[in-house]
Amino acid sequence: MSGFAAWLVRLYPREWRERYDEEFVALLEDRSVSFADVFDVALGALDARLSPQIQDRRPFAMVARLRGSVLAVLWAWVGFVVAGTGFQKMTEYDDFVEAARENVVVGAAFDAVVVGAVVALLAVSAGGLPVVYAALRGALAEGRKDVPLLFAAVPLALVVFVGYTLLLTRVIYPSVGPLAVHAALNVAFFVSLVAVFLLAAIASTAAVSAAVSRVEVDGRLFRFALWPATVATLAMAVVLSATVAWGVALSVQSPALFAGDDGILGVSTVLNWLVIVAVMAACTCAAAVSVVRGLSAPSVTSSCVDGTRR
Amino acid sequence: MGEGLSELGRFSDPALFILASLADGEKHGYAMMEDIEALCGVRLGPGTLYGALARLERRGLVEPLPSEDRRRPYRLNAAGASALEERLRSLEGFARAGLGRLRTA
Repeated sequence: MSGFAAWLVRLYPREWRERYDEEFVALLEDRSVSFADVFDVALGALDARLSPQIQDRRPFAMVARLRGSVLAVLWAWVGFVVAGTGFQKMTEYDDFVEAARENVVVGAAFDAVVVGAVVALLAVSAGGLPVVYAALRGALAEGRKDVPLLFAAVPLALVVFVGYTLLLTRVIYPSVGPLAVHAALNVAFFVSLVAVFLLAAIASTAAVSAAVSRVEVDGRLFRFALWPATVATLAMAVVLSATVAWGVALSVQSPALFAGDDGILGVSTVLNWLVIVAVMAACTCAAAVSVVRGLSAPSVTSSCVDGTRR
Repeated sequence: MGEGLSELGRFSDPALFILASLADGEKHGYAMMEDIEALCGVRLGPGTLYGALARLERRGLVEPLPSEDRRRPYRLNAAGASALEERLRSLEGFARAGLGRLRTA
């Protein structure tokens, strides 16, 4: 029963559980829970998610919610960038460049991908840099070294990735001579490069998330960051649509190329494209949900006023 | 304050039962459910009980006490007692008027 009670309580939002979890589980354990009780708890959980009356309106909880939403958009954007890099890598092949030149839709879709990516990058910078600055300033005022060190992980990860890329292209590849696309050594080198890229992206994002969470940042900055985050999410949706349009147009314009094995490392083009679209779609959805969640958070200022009224 | 209970929508009746249950002393969730069932024959579900209890707490009509072996008792405060009395008097007046009409019918 204990496990089942704990599972039932998980239906409630986090803020509610933080307040009532223990006593509610104890209540469920004190009685034999009927099917009607389970239904009643499910309705109660739905009510707790929909009704602002029993959400935690404490200012710090609101800041945590806003911060969580902004960081979730950051993670979604990084995931999107990884998928977009895969798309860029795939389309650098001469035949795809030629198809973009010959077909207006394929070319326009590719241009839209580039424009959308730039807009998303600018929006993330516009929303993120004030938060980073405030976190750094707060940390330095408190004499903390952990936060600046965490932020330093971002350029460090970039240096590691660029360094490894140079090592591969300037030292290792020239020393082993020309390699076929499917050669085991070439695949191993490429996979190792992708692994370093992924690790650098994950480490950078995790470091920024940890740094921003460790120091107090004004909730209004997170609320402000939600607007650039909205722009970034819309730009991601544009890039996703353009990537889908690119594949559809290519399948009509050059069916043989689309059905061939011209993806990264010579894998199926269709499969490569579908995986990229799936990752982009998942990241866009995650960003959209996070933005809506953040924008629906009650104002920090009104929470303070509400708190003093109670 | 009686109007405050009406504003609780589908939780207004459970909230009234909870206030009435706490009127004779502090109780935790399970004790409230048992007491309410004995008092008025209504078996509140756990979700309904805590939906109403959370609203009453937010409105400052009941107060949580320190937890005892994971079970947290609640008590009625002055505002809650006032809201309960106002609501019961309103119901009393309504019951008297309704019964009076039945007698004269």
